[in-house]
Amino acid sequence: MSKEARQSITGLAMVLPSFAILLIVVIIPIVQSFIMSLSNGSGGYDLSRYTYLFTDKGMRSNIVFTLRVTAITCVAVILVSYTLAIYMRFNQGPIVNLIRKTYMIPLFIPGVIATYGLINLLGNHGWLARMLEVVGITLPRIIFDEKGIIIANLWFNIPFTTMLLSSALSGIPSSIIESAKDVGVGRLTLFTRFIFPLSYKTFLVALTFVFMGVIGSFTAPYLIGANSPQMLGVSMQQVFSVFQEREQAAAIAFFSFLLCSVLGAFYIRSMAEEEKAKI
Amino acid sequence: MRMKKPFLSLLTVVGLSVSLLAGCGNGGEIKSTTTGGNAAASSDQVKFNFYFTGSQNVKDLWDSLEPMFEKQHPDIDVNLVYIPSGTGAEPTYDRIVAAKKAGKGSGDIDLYEDGITSVAQGTKDGIWEQLNEKDIPNLSKVDTDTMKDVDNFAVPYRSSAVVLAYDSSKISNPPTTLDELLQWIKANPQQFAYNDPSTGGSGSSFVQTIVYKDLPEEDIHNSDPAIMEKWDGGFDTLKEIGPYVYGQGIYPKKNQGTLDLLMNGEVSLIPAWSDMVLQQLNEGLLPDTIKMQQITPGFNGGPTYLMVNQESDKKEAINEFLNFVLSPEAQEVIVDKMNGFPGIELSNMSQEMQNKFDGVAEGFRTFNIGDLGTEINKRWQSDVAAK
Repeated sequence: MSKEARQSITGLAMVLPSFAILLIVVIIPIVQSFIMSLSNGSGGYDLSRYTYLFTDKGMRSNIVFTLRVTAITCVAVILVSYTLAIYMRFNQGPIVNLIRKTYMIPLFIPGVIATYGLINLLGNHGWLARMLEVVGITLPRIIFDEKGIIIANLWFNIPFTTMLLSSALSGIPSSIIESAKDVGVGRLTLFTRFIFPLSYKTFLVALTFVFMGVIGSFTAPYLIGANSPQMLGVSMQQVFSVFQEREQAAAIAFFSFLLCSVLGAFYIRSMAEEEKAKI
Repeated sequence: MRMKKPFLSLLTVVGLSVSLLAGCGNGGEIKSTTTGGNAAASSDQVKFNFYFTGSQNVKDLWDSLEPMFEKQHPDIDVNLVYIPSGTGAEPTYDRIVAAKKAGKGSGDIDLYEDGITSVAQGTKDGIWEQLNEKDIPNLSKVDTDTMKDVDNFAVPYRSSAVVLAYDSSKISNPPTTLDELLQWIKANPQQFAYNDPSTGGSGSSFVQTIVYKDLPEEDIHNSDPAIMEKWDGGFDTLKEIGPYVYGQGIYPKKNQGTLDLLMNGEVSLIPAWSDMVLQQLNEGLLPDTIKMQQITPGFNGGPTYLMVNQESDKKEAINEFLNFVLSPEAQEVIVDKMNGFPGIELSNMSQEMQNKFDGVAEGFRTFNIGDLGTEINKRWQSDVAAK
């Protein structure tokens, strides 16, 4: 056996076990739920469950609502996290130290508890409303509204994203930034031409995490969200265990998998391109 | 980077994945050992598993009933399996069905407690045992209509009713009929809230009461899908009051969601379970100004049922237990602990108990509309919630 053949066999053998796990815990369930979602309840197989997703008024607004919340959250999380990460990377002092020590705290607070905390803080008669009442400001409705879900998702996603971006930014050599500054590059150009391209890969990872986390979020939207439109996760739970329409729930699940896989494919492609560039 | 010891790392990868995959299968193995353990223990004593779900008060109830029963019947061991509400009551039901389909007998679940939906679903799936008075003499004390509703497939051992809970510091004359209630809601915008009917019985009771408002009385015992066509009027009423309820159309999740709103004064009138209100008043969670009022005709109350798994091989012991649960002494404990109504007819209870329920016992109606309850929730979601 030639050396090359042996090497490729070893390579395959190393991939096989992890592929087996992927097959059993991810691929097979997805295929199963796809098959389940195709059955129309009267024995036949067709796309009626998917047609329902886009023709039912409530369902359609759920999908639009989910995408909207996800998009707004992604943009907001990335903006806040980049700002925080850049601030921590290029500044020193007590404030930076304070942020560095505290920004991870939300990661250690269980989701349900954080959500109830937010309800108490932002609710109609919550603390914030009571404090602002003194100065004569009335809060808009935050809890039982889209705003509440977005705020909760910010709370859950900012710490981890900031952590990812911080580590990426610390990998950028100070010499690059300094020499750019020396030749008189403005702050915005510095970000768009140097910092962003150099942390692009991590940015993509972070975006993928936030996107998938938000699109499949359940606890916060369930407790904070309005009755309609709902996030897909909440709707899926309702269809599955309240209406007991497993096939319809499977269709929603498969659809949200498709939504995630669009971003996943984009991510994998750009990773593959980078690998190729290296070789 | 090239690996120096490819075979070592290959081994590690294989080992890790195998152990991960083996982890997936572990559940089954653990279960089979417990089955073995049960069989060994049952040689001198009959032991059966009783799965029940609910809030802490339900657990307290069974924790006090079980020793009472076992003292009378030392040869029977009741194994209580408590599943906190919202964490997995459905999987319990699914496990029973799965065990039957797989031909694995009872799946170690001999007795199960749940609401009418599970009774109906299980009757359809054919997993409940039909009970009779010969095996359970105390069954004769239960209202015959209630037994007829479930075709003897389940024992209604306690009931609680939905009532109106109101803040007496804001409302002096609470509505006493459904029409008055509807008028009140419109006259006091944003002061009334009911919870999403798919997340809790009190909201679902309010919705069902409105949907069946103008329908003949016998329709609430009918699970024929043809009735669905008569729902339009009721749903129109619900849509009409939408802008007048809390937040102009916000329906909190779960029974507790509306109680929380009442607690912090955001609303002043809600439909709520009598036992939850009484319990939270006792614990000081609700202010003393909260009072209850039943309307006529009443909101639906729901019995909670005990169902026997058809595949169970310990039916004699279970029947003995059910007979005990329906005895006046056990029922008295149930009334004390749960602040609910007894499962047997009041005439079988002590005079003292009968006085306690004077006038209230007639206050609720039992709805038995089977699967239609789910249909109502579905339609509510698309018609009322999604405005």
